Amino acid sequence: MSRITVLGIESSCDDTSAAVIQDGFLRSNVVAGQKVHEAYGGVVPELASRAHQQNIIPVVDAALKQAGIGVADLSAVAFTRGPGLMGSLLVGTSFAKGLARAKGIPLVEVNHLQAHILAHFIEVESEAHVSPCFPFLCLLVSGGNSQIVLVRDYHDMEVIGQTIDDAAGEAFDKCAKVMGLPYPGGPWIDRLAAQGNPKAFQFSKPHIAGYDYSFSGLKTSFLYKLRDALVENPNFIEENKTDLCASLQKTIVDILMDKLKKAAKDLGIREVAVAGGVSANSGLRTAFEEYAQRYRWNIHIPKFAYTTDNAAMIAMSGYFKAINHDYIGMDAVPFSKTRF
Amino acid sequence: MNVLVNNPSDLQKAAETFLHQYPDARVVAFHGSMGAGKTTLIKAICQQLGVNDVVNSPTFALVNEYTCPNGQSVYHFDFYRINKLEEVYDMGYEEYIESGQYCFMEWPERIESLLPDNCIHIHIEETNNNQRIIRSID
Repeated sequence: MSRITVLGIESSCDDTSAAVIQDGFLRSNVVAGQKVHEAYGGVVPELASRAHQQNIIPVVDAALKQAGIGVADLSAVAFTRGPGLMGSLLVGTSFAKGLARAKGIPLVEVNHLQAHILAHFIEVESEAHVSPCFPFLCLLVSGGNSQIVLVRDYHDMEVIGQTIDDAAGEAFDKCAKVMGLPYPGGPWIDRLAAQGNPKAFQFSKPHIAGYDYSFSGLKTSFLYKLRDALVENPNFIEENKTDLCASLQKTIVDILMDKLKKAAKDLGIREVAVAGGVSANSGLRTAFEEYAQRYRWNIHIPKFAYTTDNAAMIAMSGYFKAINHDYIGMDAVPFSKTRF
Repeated sequence: MNVLVNNPSDLQKAAETFLHQYPDARVVAFHGSMGAGKTTLIKAICQQLGVNDVVNSPTFALVNEYTCPNGQSVYHFDFYRINKLEEVYDMGYEEYIESGQYCFMEWPERIESLLPDNCIHIHIEETNNNQRIIRSID
Protein backbone atom coordinates (compact mmCIF):
# COMPACT_ATOMS: atom_id res chain seq x y z
CA MET A 1 0.00 0.00 0.00
CA SER A 2 1.30 3.45 -0.80
CA ARG A 3 2.11 5.80 2.02
CA ILE A 4 0.07 8.88 2.90
CA THR A 5 2.40 11.82 3.41
CA VAL A 6 0.97 15.22 4.35
CA LEU A 7 2.85 18.51 4.49
CA GLY A 8 1.30 20.99 6.95
CA ILE A 9 1.79 24.75 6.69
CA GLU A 10 0.97 27.23 9.46
CA SER A 11 1.17 31.02 9.07
CA SER A 12 -1.83 32.38 10.95
CA CYS A 13 -0.13 34.75 13.37
CA ASP A 14 3.48 35.31 14.50
CA ASP A 15 5.35 32.16 13.49
CA THR A 16 5.86 30.39 10.17
CA SER A 17 5.96 26.62 10.53
CA ALA A 18 5.97 23.48 8.37
CA ALA A 19 5.66 19.82 9.35
CA VAL A 20 5.38 16.38 7.78
CA ILE A 21 3.07 13.57 8.92
CA GLN A 22 3.53 10.19 7.28
CA ASP A 23 0.95 7.42 7.81
CA GLY A 24 -0.18 9.15 11.00
CA PHE A 25 3.28 9.65 12.50
CA LEU A 26 5.08 12.96 12.86
CA ARG A 27 8.32 13.07 10.82
CA SER A 28 9.27 16.74 11.28
CA ASN A 29 8.02 19.97 12.81
CA VAL A 30 9.97 23.13 12.01
CA VAL A 31 9.21 26.63 13.28
CA ALA A 32 10.96 29.64 11.68
CA GLY A 33 14.02 30.71 13.57
CA GLN A 34 17.57 31.87 13.07
CA LYS A 35 18.79 28.26 12.75
CA VAL A 36 16.46 27.46 9.87
CA HIS A 37 17.75 30.43 7.91
CA GLU A 38 21.37 29.56 8.63
CA ALA A 39 20.84 25.98 7.44
CA TYR A 40 19.19 27.26 4.27
CA GLY A 41 22.14 29.52 3.61
CA GLY A 42 20.26 32.76 3.93
CA VAL A 43 21.60 35.74 5.80
CA VAL A 44 18.84 37.08 8.00
CA PRO A 45 20.15 39.64 10.46
CA GLU A 46 17.02 39.77 12.55
CA LEU A 47 13.90 37.68 12.28
CA ALA A 48 10.80 39.82 12.52
CA SER A 49 7.54 38.35 13.70
CA ARG A 50 5.10 37.61 10.90
CA ALA A 51 7.77 37.81 8.14
CA HIS A 52 6.10 34.77 6.59
CA GLN A 53 7.12 35.51 3.03
CA GLN A 54 10.78 35.47 4.05
CA ASN A 55 10.39 32.34 6.15
CA ILE A 56 8.14 30.00 4.24
CA ILE A 57 10.54 28.48 1.72
CA PRO A 58 13.40 27.78 4.18
CA VAL A 59 10.93 26.37 6.70
CA VAL A 60 9.24 24.00 4.22
CA ASP A 61 12.64 22.96 2.89
CA ALA A 62 13.88 22.18 6.41
CA ALA A 63 10.70 20.21 7.23
CA LEU A 64 11.07 18.02 4.12
CA LYS A 65 14.78 17.44 4.77
CA GLN A 66 14.25 16.52 8.42
CA ALA A 67 11.52 14.10 7.36
CA GLY A 68 13.96 12.59 4.87
CA ILE A 69 11.58 13.05 1.95
CA GLY A 70 11.33 15.12 -1.21
CA VAL A 71 8.46 17.14 -2.65
CA ALA A 72 7.63 14.23 -4.97
CA ASP A 73 6.76 12.05 -1.94
CA LEU A 74 3.89 14.30 -0.79
CA SER A 75 0.33 13.00 -1.10
CA ALA A 76 -1.38 16.25 -0.01
CA VAL A 77 -0.70 19.76 1.27
CA ALA A 78 -2.58 21.02 4.34
CA PHE A 79 -2.66 24.69 5.29
CA THR A 80 -4.18 26.90 7.98
CA ARG A 81 -7.10 28.65 6.34
CA GLY A 82 -8.06 30.62 9.47
CA PRO A 83 -8.74 32.19 11.84
CA GLY A 84 -5.79 34.55 11.90
CA LEU A 85 -4.32 37.63 10.31
CA MET A 86 -5.38 38.03 6.70
CA GLY A 87 -1.92 39.12 5.48
CA SER A 88 -0.26 36.22 7.27
CA LEU A 89 -2.77 33.57 6.19
CA LEU A 90 -2.47 34.61 2.56
CA VAL A 91 1.21 33.67 2.49
CA GLY A 92 0.60 30.10 3.68
CA THR A 93 -2.53 29.69 1.56
CA SER A 94 -0.86 30.92 -1.63
CA PHE A 95 2.20 28.78 -1.05
CA ALA A 96 0.10 25.67 -0.41
CA LYS A 97 -1.95 26.28 -3.56
CA GLY A 98 1.15 26.83 -5.67
CA LEU A 99 2.75 23.63 -4.43
CA ALA A 100 -0.43 21.58 -4.84
CA ARG A 101 -0.92 22.83 -8.40
CA ALA A 102 2.72 22.34 -9.38
CA LYS A 103 2.80 18.77 -8.08
CA GLY A 104 -0.78 17.86 -8.98
CA ILE A 105 -1.64 16.84 -5.41
CA PRO A 106 -4.78 17.67 -3.40
CA LEU A 107 -5.16 20.62 -1.06
CA VAL A 108 -6.55 20.30 2.47
CA GLU A 109 -7.84 23.21 4.57
CA VAL A 110 -7.37 23.24 8.35
CA ASN A 111 -9.04 25.36 11.04
CA HIS A 112 -6.31 26.61 13.36
CA LEU A 113 -8.39 26.32 16.54
CA GLN A 114 -9.52 22.76 15.76
CA ALA A 115 -5.90 21.91 15.01
CA HIS A 116 -4.84 22.99 18.52
CA ILE A 117 -7.20 20.33 19.82
CA LEU A 118 -6.20 17.65 17.31
CA ALA A 119 -2.60 18.18 18.49
CA HIS A 120 -3.55 15.56 21.09
CA PHE A 121 -3.42 12.93 18.36
CA ILE A 122 0.13 13.67 17.22
CA GLU A 123 2.21 10.53 17.51
CA VAL A 124 5.90 9.95 17.08
CA GLU A 125 6.89 6.42 16.03
CA SER A 126 8.40 4.35 18.88
CA GLU A 127 7.08 6.73 21.55
CA ALA A 128 4.20 5.63 23.78
CA HIS A 129 1.10 7.75 23.30
CA VAL A 130 -2.48 7.73 24.58
CA SER A 131 -4.96 9.76 22.54
CA PRO A 132 -8.17 11.06 24.14
CA CYS A 133 -11.36 9.06 23.53
CA PHE A 134 -14.44 10.78 22.07
CA PRO A 135 -16.32 12.61 23.37
CA PHE A 136 -13.90 14.66 25.42
CA LEU A 137 -13.68 18.18 26.81
CA CYS A 138 -10.73 20.34 25.87
CA LEU A 139 -9.68 23.51 27.66
CA LEU A 140 -7.98 25.63 25.00
CA VAL A 141 -5.90 28.28 26.77
CA SER A 142 -3.33 30.55 25.17
CA GLY A 143 -2.43 34.20 24.76
CA GLY A 144 -5.44 34.62 22.50
CA ASN A 145 -7.92 31.92 23.54
CA SER A 146 -9.72 30.66 26.61
CA GLN A 147 -12.36 28.21 25.54
CA ILE A 148 -14.01 25.02 26.65
CA VAL A 149 -14.63 22.82 23.63
CA LEU A 150 -16.78 19.70 23.47
CA VAL A 151 -15.05 17.38 21.01
CA ARG A 152 -17.36 14.70 19.60
CA ASP A 153 -15.16 13.60 16.71
CA TYR A 154 -12.10 14.75 14.73
CA HIS A 155 -14.21 17.26 12.84
CA ASP A 156 -17.19 17.69 15.14
CA MET A 157 -16.40 20.24 17.84
CA GLU A 158 -18.51 22.76 19.73
CA VAL A 159 -17.35 25.74 21.79
CA ILE A 160 -19.46 25.59 24.94
CA GLY A 161 -17.68 28.38 26.81
CA GLN A 162 -15.25 31.15 25.98
CA THR A 163 -13.80 34.37 27.32
CA ILE A 164 -15.95 37.44 26.95
CA ASP A 165 -12.95 39.78 27.28
CA ASP A 166 -9.27 38.89 27.90
CA ALA A 167 -7.70 35.46 27.41
CA ALA A 168 -6.07 33.67 30.37
CA GLY A 169 -2.60 33.97 28.83
CA GLU A 170 -3.18 37.68 28.40
CA ALA A 171 -4.09 38.03 32.10
CA PHE A 172 -0.74 36.41 32.94
CA ASP A 173 1.20 38.62 30.51
CA LYS A 174 -0.45 41.91 31.42
CA CYS A 175 -0.22 41.41 35.20
CA ALA A 176 3.44 40.44 34.70
CA LYS A 177 4.00 43.70 32.90
CA VAL A 178 2.51 45.65 35.80
CA MET A 179 5.09 43.96 38.05
CA GLY A 180 7.88 44.91 35.65
CA LEU A 181 8.51 41.37 34.37
CA PRO A 182 9.60 40.79 30.74
CA TYR A 183 7.22 39.74 27.93
CA PRO A 184 5.82 37.13 27.70
CA GLY A 185 5.33 37.22 31.45
CA GLY A 186 3.43 33.94 31.92
CA PRO A 187 6.53 31.75 32.32
CA TRP A 188 8.09 34.29 34.72
CA ILE A 189 5.01 34.30 36.93
CA ASP A 190 5.05 30.50 36.90
CA ARG A 191 8.68 30.39 38.07
CA LEU A 192 8.26 33.01 40.80
CA ALA A 193 4.95 31.51 41.95
CA ALA A 194 6.76 28.30 42.94
CA GLN A 195 8.43 30.18 45.82
CA GLY A 196 5.38 32.16 46.97
CA ASN A 197 2.27 31.71 49.08
CA PRO A 198 -0.82 31.31 46.88
CA LYS A 199 -3.09 32.42 49.74
CA ALA A 200 -1.22 35.67 50.53
CA PHE A 201 -3.52 37.87 48.43
CA GLN A 202 -7.13 37.74 47.29
CA PHE A 203 -8.11 38.97 43.83
CA SER A 204 -11.62 39.28 42.47
CA LYS A 205 -13.12 36.34 40.61
CA PRO A 206 -15.74 36.85 37.90
CA HIS A 207 -19.38 35.85 38.24
CA ILE A 208 -20.32 34.89 34.72
CA ALA A 209 -23.17 32.59 33.75
CA GLY A 210 -22.67 29.25 31.99
CA TYR A 211 -19.21 28.12 30.96
CA ASP A 212 -17.90 31.52 29.80
CA TYR A 213 -14.78 33.14 31.20
CA SER A 214 -13.77 36.71 32.03
CA PHE A 215 -10.29 37.85 33.01
CA SER A 216 -10.59 41.60 32.50
CA GLY A 217 -11.88 42.22 36.05
CA LEU A 218 -9.03 40.23 37.56
CA LYS A 219 -6.50 42.31 35.62
CA THR A 220 -8.07 45.53 36.94
CA SER A 221 -8.33 44.18 40.49
CA PHE A 222 -4.63 43.23 40.38
CA LEU A 223 -3.73 46.67 39.00
CA TYR A 224 -5.68 48.50 41.75
CA LYS A 225 -4.26 46.29 44.52
CA LEU A 226 -0.73 47.19 43.41
CA ARG A 227 -1.50 50.85 42.84
CA ASP A 228 -2.96 51.26 46.35
CA ALA A 229 -0.21 49.25 48.03
CA LEU A 230 2.54 51.21 46.28
CA VAL A 231 1.22 54.43 47.85
CA GLU A 232 1.86 52.95 51.31
CA ASN A 233 5.07 51.16 50.43
CA PRO A 234 7.08 51.97 47.28
CA ASN A 235 8.88 48.60 47.56
CA PHE A 236 5.64 46.63 47.77
CA ILE A 237 6.11 44.76 44.48
CA GLU A 238 9.75 43.82 45.15
CA GLU A 239 9.00 42.66 48.70
CA ASN A 240 5.95 40.60 47.73
CA LYS A 241 6.74 39.46 44.19
CA THR A 242 6.66 35.71 44.81
CA ASP A 243 3.45 35.91 46.87
CA LEU A 244 1.81 38.14 44.27
CA CYS A 245 2.74 35.70 41.50
CA ALA A 246 1.58 32.66 43.48
CA SER A 247 -1.75 34.29 44.40
CA LEU A 248 -2.38 35.54 40.88
CA GLN A 249 -1.56 32.15 39.34
CA LYS A 250 -3.83 30.36 41.78
CA THR A 251 -6.69 32.76 40.99
CA ILE A 252 -6.33 32.29 37.21
CA VAL A 253 -6.06 28.49 37.54
CA ASP A 254 -9.07 28.37 39.90
CA ILE A 255 -11.17 30.39 37.44
CA LEU A 256 -10.19 28.06 34.57
CA MET A 257 -10.77 24.85 36.54
CA ASP A 258 -14.10 25.89 38.13
CA LYS A 259 -15.86 26.19 34.76
CA LEU A 260 -14.17 23.11 33.35
CA LYS A 261 -15.29 21.09 36.37
CA LYS A 262 -18.85 22.40 35.98
CA ALA A 263 -18.89 21.46 32.28
CA ALA A 264 -17.46 17.99 32.96
CA LYS A 265 -20.04 17.37 35.68
CA ASP A 266 -23.03 18.69 33.69
CA LEU A 267 -22.12 16.71 30.58
CA GLY A 268 -20.99 13.59 32.46
CA ILE A 269 -17.62 13.55 30.70
CA ARG A 270 -14.45 12.37 32.44
CA GLU A 271 -12.12 12.50 29.46
CA VAL A 272 -10.52 15.96 29.80
CA ALA A 273 -7.70 17.57 27.83
CA VAL A 274 -5.86 20.87 27.80
CA ALA A 275 -4.37 22.61 24.75
CA GLY A 276 -2.66 25.90 23.92
CA GLY A 277 0.46 27.58 25.30
CA VAL A 278 -0.87 28.13 28.83
CA SER A 279 -0.99 24.34 29.28
CA ALA A 280 2.74 24.65 30.06
CA ASN A 281 1.85 26.46 33.30
CA SER A 282 2.81 24.25 36.23
CA GLY A 283 -0.07 25.52 38.37
CA LEU A 284 -2.54 24.42 35.71
CA ARG A 285 -0.80 21.06 35.25
CA THR A 286 -0.90 20.40 39.01
CA ALA A 287 -4.59 21.33 39.09
CA PHE A 288 -5.28 18.89 36.24
CA GLU A 289 -3.51 16.12 38.13
CA GLU A 290 -5.44 16.90 41.32
CA TYR A 291 -8.75 16.91 39.48
CA ALA A 292 -7.84 13.64 37.78
CA GLN A 293 -7.47 12.04 41.22
CA ARG A 294 -10.44 13.72 42.82
CA TYR A 295 -12.99 13.37 40.00
CA ARG A 296 -11.47 10.30 38.29
CA TRP A 297 -10.76 12.22 35.10
CA ASN A 298 -8.56 10.77 32.35
CA ILE A 299 -6.40 13.79 31.60
CA HIS A 300 -4.38 14.60 28.47
CA ILE A 301 -1.61 17.21 28.49
CA PRO A 302 0.32 17.54 25.21
CA LYS A 303 4.05 18.13 24.72
CA PHE A 304 4.89 21.81 24.84
CA ALA A 305 6.11 21.90 21.21
CA TYR A 306 2.60 20.95 20.10
CA THR A 307 0.81 23.54 22.27
CA THR A 308 2.12 26.80 20.82
CA ASP A 309 1.44 27.66 17.16
CA ASN A 310 3.03 24.87 15.09
CA ALA A 311 2.50 23.03 11.83
CA ALA A 312 2.58 19.52 13.35
CA MET A 313 -1.01 20.06 14.46
CA ILE A 314 -1.92 21.37 10.99
CA ALA A 315 -0.35 18.34 9.29
CA MET A 316 -2.10 16.01 11.79
CA SER A 317 -5.50 17.62 11.15
CA GLY A 318 -4.77 17.57 7.41
CA TYR A 319 -3.93 13.88 7.60
CA PHE A 320 -7.31 13.03 9.19
CA LYS A 321 -9.02 14.87 6.34
CA ALA A 322 -6.76 13.46 3.60
CA ILE A 323 -7.54 9.87 4.56
CA ASN A 324 -11.23 10.74 4.05
CA HIS A 325 -10.43 12.48 0.74
CA ASP A 326 -11.83 15.67 2.27
CA TYR A 327 -10.10 18.11 -0.09
CA ILE A 328 -10.72 21.71 -1.02
CA GLY A 329 -10.62 23.55 -4.36
CA MET A 330 -8.08 26.08 -5.61
CA ASP A 331 -10.60 28.87 -5.06
CA ALA A 332 -10.43 28.56 -1.24
CA VAL A 333 -9.70 31.90 0.42
CA PRO A 334 -8.47 32.41 3.98
CA PHE A 335 -10.84 33.61 6.71
CA SER A 336 -9.80 35.89 9.53
CA LYS A 337 -12.90 35.74 11.69
CA THR A 338 -13.00 33.33 14.61
CA ARG A 339 -15.06 30.25 13.82
CA PHE A 340 -14.89 26.62 14.73
CA MET B 1 -17.76 64.20 23.40
CA ASN B 2 -16.89 64.50 27.07
CA VAL B 3 -18.70 61.95 29.23
CA LEU B 4 -18.31 60.84 32.84
CA VAL B 5 -18.85 57.09 33.28
CA ASN B 6 -19.86 55.68 36.66
CA ASN B 7 -21.41 52.33 35.76
CA PRO B 8 -22.16 49.98 32.85
CA SER B 9 -25.34 51.84 31.82
CA ASP B 10 -23.37 55.11 31.58
CA LEU B 11 -20.98 53.24 29.32
CA GLN B 12 -23.79 52.22 26.95
CA LYS B 13 -24.87 55.87 26.90
CA ALA B 14 -21.31 56.95 26.12
CA ALA B 15 -21.23 54.47 23.22
CA GLU B 16 -24.54 55.89 21.97
CA THR B 17 -23.25 59.46 22.27
CA PHE B 18 -20.14 58.55 20.31
CA LEU B 19 -22.09 56.99 17.42
CA HIS B 20 -24.52 59.91 17.41
CA GLN B 21 -21.75 62.52 17.33
CA TYR B 22 -19.61 60.71 14.76
CA PRO B 23 -22.00 58.84 12.47
CA ASP B 24 -19.41 58.70 9.68
CA ALA B 25 -16.38 57.76 11.79
CA ARG B 26 -14.75 54.59 10.54
CA VAL B 27 -11.17 54.73 11.89
CA VAL B 28 -11.14 55.34 15.63
CA ALA B 29 -8.14 55.26 17.99
CA PHE B 30 -8.80 54.45 21.65
CA HIS B 31 -6.21 55.80 24.08
CA GLY B 32 -5.96 54.79 27.73
CA SER B 33 -3.66 52.99 30.13
CA MET B 34 -3.92 49.29 30.90
CA GLY B 35 -7.20 48.54 32.67
CA ALA B 36 -8.74 51.89 31.63
CA GLY B 37 -11.47 50.04 29.73
CA LYS B 38 -10.60 50.33 26.04
CA THR B 39 -11.89 46.83 25.21
CA THR B 40 -14.96 47.41 27.38
CA LEU B 41 -15.84 50.65 25.56
CA ILE B 42 -15.35 49.03 22.15
CA LYS B 43 -17.56 46.17 23.30
CA ALA B 44 -20.28 48.71 24.21
CA ILE B 45 -19.97 50.48 20.84
CA CYS B 46 -20.20 47.12 19.03
CA GLN B 47 -23.31 46.31 21.06
CA GLN B 48 -24.84 49.62 19.92
CA LEU B 49 -23.94 48.68 16.33
CA GLY B 50 -25.86 45.44 16.78
CA VAL B 51 -22.83 43.12 16.62
CA ASN B 52 -23.75 39.60 17.77
CA ASP B 53 -20.21 38.17 17.79
CA VAL B 54 -18.24 37.84 21.03
CA VAL B 55 -16.16 41.01 21.34
CA ASN B 56 -12.98 40.18 23.23
CA SER B 57 -9.41 41.41 23.49
CA PRO B 58 -7.33 41.13 20.30
CA THR B 59 -4.01 41.56 22.13
CA PHE B 60 -2.71 38.21 20.90
CA ALA B 61 -4.55 37.99 17.59
CA LEU B 62 -3.71 41.67 16.73
CA VAL B 63 -7.09 42.02 15.02
CA ASN B 64 -10.55 40.55 15.61
CA GLU B 65 -13.33 40.78 13.06
CA TYR B 66 -17.04 41.17 13.80
CA THR B 67 -20.09 41.67 11.61
CA CYS B 68 -22.93 44.22 11.99
CA PRO B 69 -26.51 43.26 11.02
CA ASN B 70 -26.25 45.58 7.97
CA GLY B 71 -23.28 43.59 6.69
CA GLN B 72 -20.62 46.11 7.72
CA SER B 73 -17.50 44.66 9.30
CA VAL B 74 -15.81 45.83 12.46
CA TYR B 75 -12.04 45.32 12.69
CA HIS B 76 -10.90 45.51 16.30
CA PHE B 77 -7.14 46.07 16.51
CA ASP B 78 -4.67 45.94 19.35
CA PHE B 79 -1.15 47.17 18.59
CA TYR B 80 0.21 46.36 22.07
CA ARG B 81 2.47 43.59 20.69
CA ILE B 82 3.75 45.56 17.70
CA ASN B 83 7.45 46.35 17.95
CA LYS B 84 8.26 47.57 14.47
CA LEU B 85 6.12 49.37 11.92
CA GLU B 86 6.98 46.83 9.20
CA GLU B 87 5.13 44.22 11.26
CA VAL B 88 1.97 46.25 10.75
CA TYR B 89 2.43 46.23 6.99
CA ASP B 90 2.99 42.46 7.10
CA MET B 91 -0.40 41.97 8.76
CA GLY B 92 -2.13 43.85 5.93
CA TYR B 93 -2.83 47.06 7.87
CA GLU B 94 -3.45 49.21 4.79
CA GLU B 95 -6.09 46.87 3.39
CA TYR B 96 -7.99 47.05 6.67
CA ILE B 97 -7.71 50.83 7.06
CA GLU B 98 -8.73 51.55 3.48
CA SER B 99 -11.59 49.04 3.50
CA GLY B 100 -14.18 51.64 4.53
CA GLN B 101 -15.26 49.31 7.36
CA TYR B 102 -15.11 50.18 11.06
CA CYS B 103 -11.54 50.06 12.41
CA PHE B 104 -11.39 50.38 16.19
CA MET B 105 -7.82 50.50 17.47
CA GLU B 106 -6.33 49.90 20.93
CA TRP B 107 -2.78 51.05 21.72
CA PRO B 108 -2.70 53.32 18.62
CA GLU B 109 0.37 55.10 20.07
CA ARG B 110 2.47 52.15 18.83
CA ILE B 111 1.73 52.99 15.19
CA GLU B 112 1.08 56.73 15.52
CA SER B 113 2.78 57.72 12.24
CA LEU B 114 0.52 55.33 10.28
CA LEU B 115 -2.81 56.66 11.57
CA PRO B 116 -4.88 58.29 8.82
CA ASP B 117 -5.75 62.01 9.01
CA ASN B 118 -9.46 61.35 9.42
CA CYS B 119 -8.89 59.18 12.50
CA ILE B 120 -11.03 60.07 15.52
CA HIS B 121 -9.20 59.87 18.86
CA ILE B 122 -11.00 58.78 22.01
CA HIS B 123 -9.21 59.17 25.35
CA ILE B 124 -10.24 57.23 28.45
CA GLU B 125 -8.99 58.68 31.72
CA GLU B 126 -9.37 57.18 35.17
CA THR B 127 -10.38 59.45 38.05
CA ASN B 128 -9.20 58.88 41.62
CA ASN B 129 -12.42 57.13 42.59
CA ASN B 130 -12.34 54.70 39.64
CA GLN B 131 -14.77 56.57 37.42
CA ARG B 132 -13.87 57.11 33.78
CA ILE B 133 -13.88 60.26 31.68
CA ILE B 134 -14.29 59.57 27.96
CA ARG B 135 -13.24 62.41 25.68
CA SER B 136 -12.99 62.70 21.93
CA ILE B 137 -10.51 64.68 19.85
CA ASP B 138 -11.02 64.92 16.11
